[in-house]
Amino acid sequence: MAEDLNWAVGGEAGDGIDSTGKIFAQALARAGRHVFTSKDFASRIRGGYTAYKIRTSVEEVQSVVDRLDILVALTQRTIDENLDELHEGSAIIYDGERSWEAEIPDEMTAVDVPLKSLAEDAGGAIMRNIVALGAACKITGFDVEYLDEALEKRFGGKGSQIVENNKEAARLGQEYVEENYDLDHLGYNVETTDNDYVLLNGNEAVGMGAIAAGCRFYSGYPITPATSIMEYLTGRIEDYGGHVVQAEDELSAINMALGAARSGARAMTATSGAGIDLMTETFGLVATSETPLVIADVQRSGPSTGMPTKQEQGDLNMALYGGHGEVPRFVITPTSITECFWKTVEAFNLAEKYQTPVFLVSDLAMSVTEQTFPPEAFDMSEVEIDRGKLVDEDEVDEWLDEQGHFRAHAVTDDGVSPRAIPGTIDGAHMSTGLEHDELGRRTEDQDERVQQVDKRYRKVETAQEEEDWDYREFGDEDADNLILSWGSNEGALVEALDYLEEDGIDVRVISVPYIFPRPDLSDEIEAADDVIVVECNATGQFADLIEHDALTRVKRINKYTGVRFKADELAEQITEQLSAEVPAQ
Amino acid sequence: MSSDVRFTDFKSDKQPTWCPGCGDFGTMNGMMKALAETGNDPDNTFVVAGIGCSGKIGTYMHSYALHGVHGRALPVATGVKMARPDIEVMAAGGDGDGYSIGAGHFVHAVRRNVDMSYVVMDNRIYGLTKGQASPTSRSDFETSTTPEGPKQPPVNPLALALASGASFIAQSFASDALRHQEIIQEAIEHDGFGFVNVFSPCVTFNDVDTYDYFRDNLVDLQDEGHDPNDYEAAKEVILDSDKEYQGVMYQDENSVPYHEKHGVTEDMSEIPEGAPEDAMDLVREFY
Ligand SMILES: Cc1ncc(C[n+]2csc(CCOP(=O)(O)OP(=O)(O)O)c2C)c(N)n1
Ligand code: SF4
Repeated sequence: MAEDLNWAVGGEAGDGIDSTGKIFAQALARAGRHVFTSKDFASRIRGGYTAYKIRTSVEEVQSVVDRLDILVALTQRTIDENLDELHEGSAIIYDGERSWEAEIPDEMTAVDVPLKSLAEDAGGAIMRNIVALGAACKITGFDVEYLDEALEKRFGGKGSQIVENNKEAARLGQEYVEENYDLDHLGYNVETTDNDYVLLNGNEAVGMGAIAAGCRFYSGYPITPATSIMEYLTGRIEDYGGHVVQAEDELSAINMALGAARSGARAMTATSGAGIDLMTETFGLVATSETPLVIADVQRSGPSTGMPTKQEQGDLNMALYGGHGEVPRFVITPTSITECFWKTVEAFNLAEKYQTPVFLVSDLAMSVTEQTFPPEAFDMSEVEIDRGKLVDEDEVDEWLDEQGHFRAHAVTDDGVSPRAIPGTIDGAHMSTGLEHDELGRRTEDQDERVQQVDKRYRKVETAQEEEDWDYREFGDEDADNLILSWGSNEGALVEALDYLEEDGIDVRVISVPYIFPRPDLSDEIEAADDVIVVECNATGQFADLIEHDALTRVKRINKYTGVRFKADELAEQITEQLSAEVPAQ
Repeated sequence: MSSDVRFTDFKSDKQPTWCPGCGDFGTMNGMMKALAETGNDPDNTFVVAGIGCSGKIGTYMHSYALHGVHGRALPVATGVKMARPDIEVMAAGGDGDGYSIGAGHFVHAVRRNVDMSYVVMDNRIYGLTKGQASPTSRSDFETSTTPEGPKQPPVNPLALALASGASFIAQSFASDALRHQEIIQEAIEHDGFGFVNVFSPCVTFNDVDTYDYFRDNLVDLQDEGHDPNDYEAAKEVILDSDKEYQGVMYQDENSVPYHEKHGVTEDMSEIPEGAPEDAMDLVREFY
């Protein structure tokens, strides 16, 4: 952990904080270092504190920690907000020429750089953040050439002059620190490696997974933090013969995706918060019409408009139970950015194999966090496509009744019916949200109703048997302490293991990427003395499920401040919980 | 598409449960005839229906079809057309379905100019829920939920379409079989969103907007020598609240449908068996 460097840039929204951070993160990734980023942002466009934090190491990093080594502060608030994380060896880069008088605690190193005037020297005040990056390179002993490469990538499209100006800005920042400060005593010396890493966030991974899986149609309505999936697909999906429609609302978005899916395209929609509520009306239609559809929910803090830019895992119950009547569905919850990719691919396969809605539930923390991975983590040759029982013209005949009608909702042993898409000769049929017979025609006949309900649930039973609903496991398999988690908490938990180990505490971590169906964990729970469920919500929605499945009480760690778990904080809370009483039966 | 398709091929063997005399019978016959007449066949046609007496139409027709949730037929139809530009798409529903709960979608499907036809069976009442006021009910029309009338002016769907940038606006009368069929045919053949508001009387709950009323009051634009390509003339008849018109009010000769504007030409149902060949490029983008 000593090798970590924790860097941040902060200022007001609109100060270019995000792109500054991203450029530095890319430079570090290019230097073969692992990077894990996190963002603090308020729900406003201009003004309001915002920060981009980077943790980087030559080892893999998967979590944030309470420590900040280098801070680029564009406002006093940036310093105040991060005081807890700053320490004696921290360096704070700021612009003393600007109108604010920086109040920096004595024990920290103040690095006053005329960011704005140096940027103007390089060609424009807008580049003051790049000057700061140059200064940061000098302080951390990081080769500015990597920064140059990142600048080329970022501004290459805007012409060579812009690239040169930015490089010049970085160099001026670097030189200024070199000439005016001696910071060797801080001891920062950022190592580089020959590794090639890609740097991406969870939403980009979902979008990439969708394209890899053959998604052709995406419709959505902008909402934080789901929008960047739509932004990723727009401009890329067209290269593969697909299209993105920005719908007028979420009701429309999900219905458009349903229309595209019914006509044979792999289709998807994504939303968050209020958007998933609006879509709920259509969940049942997707399920009863047996349409393969992937619906992603990137959770944020609720209820209502809640805290739109803050982390929460509060939609699990909605994903499991949302919608009137009883709706068979799958609920998949990726636990890391690579899983965002792979589970998206899997979601499309499950949707088509079982002709059901598949909920892909991720969360804000994962969606905005960028992390480095070897490109092989997304090895496209491993992607498999399974379109299920899609019948062509020759196969349709097997599924016609005596009058020659296609039995689109045929009652089968595995619950899955044949699927004919428009254009398939003799496959024409009706589908409806009303209860229907095998032909898709409305019925209120008691036997037919029961047959169709059973058939739809039989798909889930079949999937339960045929698919692997496994889990990911970390730590000591034989430990008496069992920690259960879902979604983005996995990284912080894995790192918390190191802290716990230092204190001589062994734990077994099980991270669950499937909520419905989910792995049967009763043996694991029985074998453990202490079971703790970790999640970012107030009531413990996953813990409730676990208690229900295993008929036992579990301990809970719940965080609902709007901020994701940190590794060190988790380790502390786990230690605390281990000595606490199990809640009364 | 085979040339020997007959309109009865679009008929399902389900018997309609509409009240005897309901305008929806005539509306549907015209739709089936128009589909057959324009060279479509059930295996290449997708009909999306709303919820209401009118929405049941998908059940009585034979084609690929979806009977969805109340008010959402247009988004579904949009998704179908975008994914399958090769398929003939028709959406149908009632005035409540289209102009009340689905009004938002109507405006946007119109302005997107999705290449499909949209048939609204306008009976100026909610039929299926047994006789409440609809957005096109007259302001003094007494119903179970508006005993003294809705006391608000009816929506003018044609004007709403015009204001939303429609490329095809028409109105027909279910019982004027030939003209109705002709008008639906023109909507199908139009390159873009072919909108037809059909007077389709509800004989059970609306004793004002009856067959006799329309027969007595309907003015056919063809007889008036109306030029649908003339925007100003279209505006005039559409905003004329004193008369009931039938015919094509407006058609934009330069209409380019949404999918063409966006370069969507391919059938999206076919995908490779694994990730696309150059998929690793997607990963390399993140270097
Ligand atoms: C979300 C929702 N709200 C209400 C209903 C009940 N409902 C069914 S049909 C209908 C109105 C139908 O009126 P219209 O579209 O004019 O069709 P008509 O029956 O007159 O042909 C209503 C309110 C519903 N099915 N779904
Ligand atoms: S209630 Fe009215 S609209 Fe419904 S079927 Fe009867 S006549 Fe037709």
